[in-house]
Formats: sequence, structure tokens, C-alpha cells
Amino acid sequence: MKRIGVFLCWCGSNIGGVVDVPKVAEAVRTFPGVAFVQENKYTCSEPGQQAMVQAIKEHKIDAVVVASCSPRMHLPTFQKAVETAGLNPYMVEMANLREHCSWVHASEPENATTKAMDLVRKAVAKVAKLEPLFESYIPVTKRALVIGGGIAGIQTALDIADSGHQVVIVEKEATIGGRMAQLDKTFPTLDCGA
Amino acid sequence: MSVKEKDLSNWQPKILGFACNWCSYAGADVCGVSRFQHPSTVRVVRVPCSGRVNPHFVLRAFQRGIDGVLVGG
Amino acid sequence: MVAAAQHPNITLYTYSQVESVGGYIGNFEVNIKKKAKYVDYSKCTGCGICETKCPTKKVPGEFDCFMGERTAIYKPFAQAVPNKPVIDNKSCKKLIDGKCGVCAKMCPTGAINYEDQDEIVTENFGAIVVATGFDLIEWGKFYPEYGGGEIPDVIDGLQFERLVNASGPTGGKIKRPSDHEIPQTVVFIKCVGSRDVLKAKSYCSRACCMYTAKHAHQVREKIKGSDVYIFYMDVRTPGKMYDEFYMRTREEDGAKYVRGQVSKIFQDGNKVIVRGEDTLVGKSVEITADMVVVETAMVPRPDATQLAQTVGFSYDRDGWYTEAHPKLRPVETNTGGVFLSGCCQGPKDVPDTVAQASAAAVKVVAMFSKDQMATNPQIASVNEATCVGCLLCKPICPYKAIEAKEITERAHGETVTRTVASVNSGLCQGCGACTAECRSGSINLKGFSNLQLLAEVDAACL
Repeated sequence: MKRIGVFLCWCGSNIGGVVDVPKVAEAVRTFPGVAFVQENKYTCSEPGQQAMVQAIKEHKIDAVVVASCSPRMHLPTFQKAVETAGLNPYMVEMANLREHCSWVHASEPENATTKAMDLVRKAVAKVAKLEPLFESYIPVTKRALVIGGGIAGIQTALDIADSGHQVVIVEKEATIGGRMAQLDKTFPTLDCGA
Repeated sequence: MSVKEKDLSNWQPKILGFACNWCSYAGADVCGVSRFQHPSTVRVVRVPCSGRVNPHFVLRAFQRGIDGVLVGG
Repeated sequence: MVAAAQHPNITLYTYSQVESVGGYIGNFEVNIKKKAKYVDYSKCTGCGICETKCPTKKVPGEFDCFMGERTAIYKPFAQAVPNKPVIDNKSCKKLIDGKCGVCAKMCPTGAINYEDQDEIVTENFGAIVVATGFDLIEWGKFYPEYGGGEIPDVIDGLQFERLVNASGPTGGKIKRPSDHEIPQTVVFIKCVGSRDVLKAKSYCSRACCMYTAKHAHQVREKIKGSDVYIFYMDVRTPGKMYDEFYMRTREEDGAKYVRGQVSKIFQDGNKVIVRGEDTLVGKSVEITADMVVVETAMVPRPDATQLAQTVGFSYDRDGWYTEAHPKLRPVETNTGGVFLSGCCQGPKDVPDTVAQASAAAVKVVAMFSKDQMATNPQIASVNEATCVGCLLCKPICPYKAIEAKEITERAHGETVTRTVASVNSGLCQGCGACTAECRSGSINLKGFSNLQLLAEVDAACL
């Protein structure tokens, strides 16, 4: 069985001001597989991440739950952190206690605390099933295709070409220039279109 | 206990949401950022796309006693 | 334009289109159809004798929005790049019934080739930037009350651009299409087709407020003593020096802005009558005009959705291409290695287009800065032992990432070959639609597997 580490974030008072984090911590200790629980004021901060890395090494943690904000915000941050600690970056899961809990249930702290426990339990259950994943590498053909030879396509092609790469512009009409070539002067400076 | 006998005055349905990471999960995040208060009985599972939601998951949720399932994507 | 043509790193395929796209980020294989030009560009010097001698002179010119005429062998305009002609096989007499051949006789370099055929070339690319631009809405279909496009002196903004352009059909003199008279009273109507939820498009086309001000300025500058009226809903001028430009049009050029919509446009003798309302004074107004310009909504190119399907990325209900994130990833699509540049993503003006074009270029250059790239490992994988090869997953995949694969195995003492599904790790974007489709549970999504998600569901339902 994996040794799961759970890191509960206060996010200052954003989470801690509504959710009773120590109470959540107490409950989380009883979840199956949880070997370590830690509270942090700001888990994403430099000291917060260092504490996490240290805990992972010290307590021989295999997989991590960070209960803080949205994974859309900080999942990459914590993936890097656990990688620093020697874990596979895909062995981390987040419980969204801020956007999905404390911020939207601010007036009912007891229910928010119950929900927070549920969200962490959910994340712990998933983490227990996670497996390490490995990125593969594919070669890159350093040649770009631009479809459309109007001002947008020309500008893009010129910028890529200026950086030293080959570009092919495919244009449907017999000439490049597109709409811009049809225009007379353009606002606001009234210089010419072609 | 039949439905009639049950006291429904304080009843809140337990809802499980499946939210696409790119739209509805992001929407739920915006909901948080905008502090839109709503019942605390909703639990959201993040999926990479609503297309990932296997009907099996929905049935399992009902088997486990959930009152409603929301698939957002 | 010329800079692009002369750049040593740029190859131009004009009169060409993308036929099919295979492969994935970093490794696309693209078939490009080079349409028959009937002119050998390696011989043609662009002298233009063929155009002056071509007897088919009355073809309505696309470049001049059908207000001017061109020949069957033609360059779209005098400064075209490349500055060499093509033969339009729909109007060339020689190509239709074999009776002509004047251009071949006159060409000093023997560049004309009536036997020319469409040619498909296959090329490899690491990244694709889509920059297909916009069209104007076919406003006549939506606004019968404005004459439905039948009144000759009611034109759209692009036609006005050609009328006012020195290289246009009137040599830059603003002459109305019906009788080539110079109009004294010109009415502009904004938001025709834009911001009209009931009839046409709900969105604002963004550039029209400013180019209408420019058009008004040009009428007042070129036609002394002319009257200019502009019907508008709002005037939106968010841009550097934009509001100043608008105020100058109003105050110095004396364009008359009327806040209100137009209910009817009709021909009366050689005049065009515009009926509308002025909501600021609460009265109906009627203007006897010589020419009306409808400043119409931008729409995607008619073949825009087809191209999106060919390349394999998404578009919205109006046909604009969808960016990966409206704020944080505005020039990327959700398909790896495919980027957006300019109006194909949505209406924008020239400065915004150029900015977005450079942004798309930087994304490509960033990709090209490494010899190989890491792929997201949270993708689908097939358990070949249980896959029955039904391939229900193949059509469901929005990224064309699943293909059939033959595997050979030993079963009951025999060697058997059977078909299973196979996921291309470069194409798969990890949406997991295939996993929900799979009847036998043989295709799974790494990082969001059936087991992992069921564990979450179970834990969340306690």
C-alpha cells in the first residue's frame, strides 16, 4: 500500500477562515493509506514547498494530496515540487478546498468543513490508485505551414522566417495580400493598405 | 420508511458533478472566485472532458446513494 | 507582401489549397493541391502582354468586389505577388471550347500551357498556423428591407474600399455603381448583420466603427460639399488614437452621426431613400441619398469549417476558430501544433491582427527551439489482450488519434492475426471519449482511469 502524504493549506485565511483545518487534519489521519498530514499557511510559497519536499523525503511518502486551491492554478507547481523530492510528478492530486469550498460556502463553516473532508477523502482515494506516468519525446520538424496569405499569414510567416526557420504559405487566390490588399488607407494613421 | 413519512423540510439533495477541466471545472472555479454561494452538498469530480464520463460512473454514484448527477462539459 | 515573396526562408504556394492533413504536433504530413495556373512561372516574366491581348475582357473581377472587370488570363491586381497571371478555366475560351489561344501566340517566352493540370504535393511540417481571414456577411439575404442587395447604389464596406482605392475600378474617384456619377449625399449604416440577434449575428464586428469613420472622412475629403450621414447604434473606439480619429471625423470633417436604426431603403428615380429613426430626438428621419454603404458583419470564410475539419481543430457556432483559452492561450487551438492568426479566430482590426500574427509566430518559434518535445503522458492506452477490435473508439475520437493495428499472437497452438485499436501518442489529447465508448473496457485513460475515477466516485458518495 502506498504511503500517502496530505498537505492541508490554509491559504492565509482564504481556506482557514472558513474551514476548520485542524479538524479536517484530524479526520484525514484516519483515511486509509494516509501516512502523514501537515498543515501549511501557504503551501505554494517557497517555505511551503520546501516543507513538503522535506516531509516527502523524511516520511518516505509515495504519493501526495495537496488540499488547497484549484488544480488549474497550482497543479504544475506541486508536480514540480514532488519531482524535486524524487517522486514521479504524476503522483500528486489536489483537493480544491478554496474555489469549490471555502469561497462558496463562506456562511456555513460547519458544512464547509464536512465538505472539505469529503473532498480530501476523494483525492486520497484517487491518489491510492495513481501510477507513475512518463513523458515520451517526439521529434520536431522545424518547418511551418501557414494557411492563408493575408496580412495575418504574411506577418506570421515573416516572423517565423526571420527566426531562421523555413515557412510555406499556402494561398487560395493567385496573389497574397488578402483583404488588406483591397483596402485603401487604414485607420487611424491613414497609411496605405497594400 | 416510505417517502411520505420522511421529513423533507431540511432535505438537501446530494449531488455529484463531473466537470470538464477546460470548461465547467473552470466555470466552477470562476464561481468560487466570484464567491457565488451555493448549497454545500455538491461534490465535483474533475475529468479531462465530459466525453470521459462513462455511464458506469453515473450508475455507480446512484448505487452509492447520490440523489443527482450533473455532467458538465 | 514583397518582403514575404523575397524572403529566402519563405516559399509561396499561391492558387493552392490544403487537401488533407495527417500526422500530429511536430510531424504533420500535408497534401497541398496546386491548382492549374496554365502559366509556367519559371518562364513567365510578368510582362502583362497576355492580359492586354486576351479577348475575354468582361469577367466580373473578384478583387474589385465585382464592380470592375478583368480578362480570362489575369493578375488579381497590378501589384499582385507573385506578379504573374493565372488563367481562369471557367471563363477562358480556349479552355472551354478550344477556340482562342491568343495568349499563347502573344507570350514572348512561351509560358502559356493549356495542358497544365492540378498537382498534389506532399510536405512535412512541425507546426501549422491557420490565417484564413474573414468574409463579409451576405447581407442581402438577411435584410430584404434594405433592398436585399438589388439596389445598385447600396454597397458594402469592401466595395467602398475598392471605389476609393487608387488602383480600384474607378481609379480612386468615388463614383456610384449605377451611373458612375459622383454621389453628393452618402449614407453609412453601421452594424448591418452585427449585434442583431434576431436576424443575423449576435457579435460586434469590432473594426466597423473605425473604418466607417475613415470612410466618412474619405467621402468628405474627396467630394467637396458632400453630405455624410452615419446611422449607428453605438460608437465603439477602444484603441490608441481611435477616439481622437472618430472625433476628428465628426468635428472637422462634419460627418453627421444619427443614433438610430434604418427601417427601410428603397430606390426612387435615381435616388436612394433611407428611412430610419433618430432616437436622440425621438423622430423618424428620411434621407434622400445618392449612395448608401452598409457596414456589414464580418463572418468566417465560407470554407472555414471544412478546413477546420481537414486540419482537425474546433470552431464555434458562428464558424470562428476556437482558441484554447480566451485569455491565456489566445493563439493556440486545442489541437497540439495548430495555431491561429488573425480574423479566422474572430473579427479584429489591422493592429490586433498583426499583434496576434506575431504572437502565433512566437508560439511556433518556441516549439522549434527544441529538437524534440515532451508529450503529455495522460493519454489513452489500449489493453490489447482484451480489445476485440470493434473500433467503435475510432470514429468517436475528435483528434483522429485511433487507428486499427494488426497484431500476431499464439493462441491454442496456432498463430493468429487479429485487429486491435492503437492510439497515436502524438495525436491523442487525453480527452477520454474513447474510454466511455469502449464496450469491453479495454481502452483506458492514464491519469483518469476507470479505476481511479470510480475510486473518486465511491469516496465522494460516502
